[in-house]
Amino acid sequence: MSGSALSFARRRRFGNYFWIGLSALLSVGIAAILLLILVYVFYQGVTSISWAFLTQVPHPVGVPGGGVGNGILGSAVIIAIATLIALPVGVLTGIYLTLFAPPRLAGALRFAADVLASVPSIAIGLFAYEVLVAPFHHFSALSASFAFSILMMPLIIRTTESAIRLVPTDMREAAVALGATELQTLFRCILVAARPGIMTGLILAVARVTGETAPLLFTAFGSQFWVVNPNQPMAELSLQIFTYAISPYKVWHNQAWGGALLLIMAVLTLSLTARIAFRGKVTANL
Amino acid sequence: MFRPLRLLAGSALALCLAVPALAAQMALTGAGSTFDYPLFSRIFYAYSQQHPSVSVNYQSIGSGGGIEQFSKKTVDFGASDVPMDAKELARAGFPVIQVPVALGGEGIAYNLPGVKKGLKLTPDLLAGIFLGKVTKWNDPALVALNPGVKLPAMPITVVHRSDGSGTTYIFSDYLSAVSPTWAAKVGRGKSISWPAASSVGGKGNEGVAGLVEQTPGAIGYVELAYLLSNDMSYAKLKNKAGNFVFPTLQTVAAAAASKPQISATDFSIVDAAGADSYPISGYSWALLPVKPANAAHAAALKALFDWTVTKGQANAASIGYVPLPANVQATAIKDISAMQD
Repeated sequence: MSGSALSFARRRRFGNYFWIGLSALLSVGIAAILLLILVYVFYQGVTSISWAFLTQVPHPVGVPGGGVGNGILGSAVIIAIATLIALPVGVLTGIYLTLFAPPRLAGALRFAADVLASVPSIAIGLFAYEVLVAPFHHFSALSASFAFSILMMPLIIRTTESAIRLVPTDMREAAVALGATELQTLFRCILVAARPGIMTGLILAVARVTGETAPLLFTAFGSQFWVVNPNQPMAELSLQIFTYAISPYKVWHNQAWGGALLLIMAVLTLSLTARIAFRGKVTANL
Repeated sequence: MFRPLRLLAGSALALCLAVPALAAQMALTGAGSTFDYPLFSRIFYAYSQQHPSVSVNYQSIGSGGGIEQFSKKTVDFGASDVPMDAKELARAGFPVIQVPVALGGEGIAYNLPGVKKGLKLTPDLLAGIFLGKVTKWNDPALVALNPGVKLPAMPITVVHRSDGSGTTYIFSDYLSAVSPTWAAKVGRGKSISWPAASSVGGKGNEGVAGLVEQTPGAIGYVELAYLLSNDMSYAKLKNKAGNFVFPTLQTVAAAAASKPQISATDFSIVDAAGADSYPISGYSWALLPVKPANAAHAAALKALFDWTVTKGQANAASIGYVPLPANVQATAIKDISAMQD
């Protein structure tokens, strides 16, 4: 009797060790994969990176030099405009959803945001193409920004919501008790307290679209030139990497690796900023 | 949260103000064939060095995409490895000029441990392999054709394009020309159903090249520019005259020379006659509107493509493309002159 109880305990302990060990091993595996990708991209890409690479436009095959300067600029312009669209819409929706919407509508909005977040980015790119490219007969950075803003919104809405929920009710009541109007409470109290959370959401949303290529194929289109007019086709870093990677030439492959390294560094920096700068201020489940 | 916003708004405003400074530029946009992309990037670069006011933005989205975007008028010109057919022209709904802009060949790449470049292949064997009838590298017919080559007893894996492609069209056009069985069972097309039992698909030339390089026993068709710059093993193919020829700039040019008159409805130069002709060759085409958006666009497009099909061809050879033959250039110039402004 006691023997079987002992073996039962042993079996349980063994089971524990086994599953915990397996989980630990797999977790290390995941971290190792990330590390491997980082190291490999760094190894392949670091030789391509130079001042010229960062500041020049692409050169055709056989013309030495060339870089992705216009792609970096294009990414910045497209993402900046996307942020201009997505931030106000996302934050206001998040505020309405959390503070003012009737519960059933809030649930529906939340569901819509979650569904929108899981729509494949290529589908959103095609939507932007049908709405902003095909009717006007030309590709444009604006259509890419529009697609990006749709990709960013759900993330901003949901982080705004969790950030506002984290503002203690006491604070809101205190503001109201001091005679603040609803608007004053919102802007001077709730949003100020929720700002780190909203900023985190914004940075993560930017990081999410920085690596996107699919929605750009039929919107930003790409360019070999310095373009600043958002109504024109524009270069974009990840698009440039894609074009270079499928080319037959070693030189372009190397530049693709260089571009990939830049992109990974950018996304990594954004994610780390979001983590470090707002550490402790946000406990939202992101 | 508000300060970055203000910064963003400020920079956006600054960008909009910077725009008029560039307004005097003529910006032309084109899209299509991946095959044309390196050549076009080179030609258009050289062109804008001589004509600084013109900038041409060509993006490689594939021949199918090129026809689609050109038909929807989102680009000023398109490019495709196969000319638009009657159905595609009808769907576009406006008159189109199609001119050859590039000439290329397709090599048969393989991955056989211990076997270097230059394995001999006949049209029959190639069709047999892609039909799935020849399944081993030490098939008696292959061994008899290649005395002195140690062919391993390895199964053959056929690698083909998984995406719709002009490369596939030219390859299946060739197999249809040389093999009645292929013509009857499979035929020609940008994407076809591959009969060989052990076949895998790769996306783009780079996908096929990559699969061949990773798979011992693999064979696939890859554009010449990819072969030359990737140091792959590729076959000598028996041409119509009975000679075994490598795909090179010279043998592809010889194939093109065998058919002096080509047009968008009669463009095939596969299985060409001539002692040195490489049999899997083909043209790539620019798609131009007869009536561009406005007179300025028409003038710019006309000048650009007049240059592309003539002087611009001097850029071809150094990056693995074959310059257009003189008579083809002349026909192209005549066709481009039909553009109205």
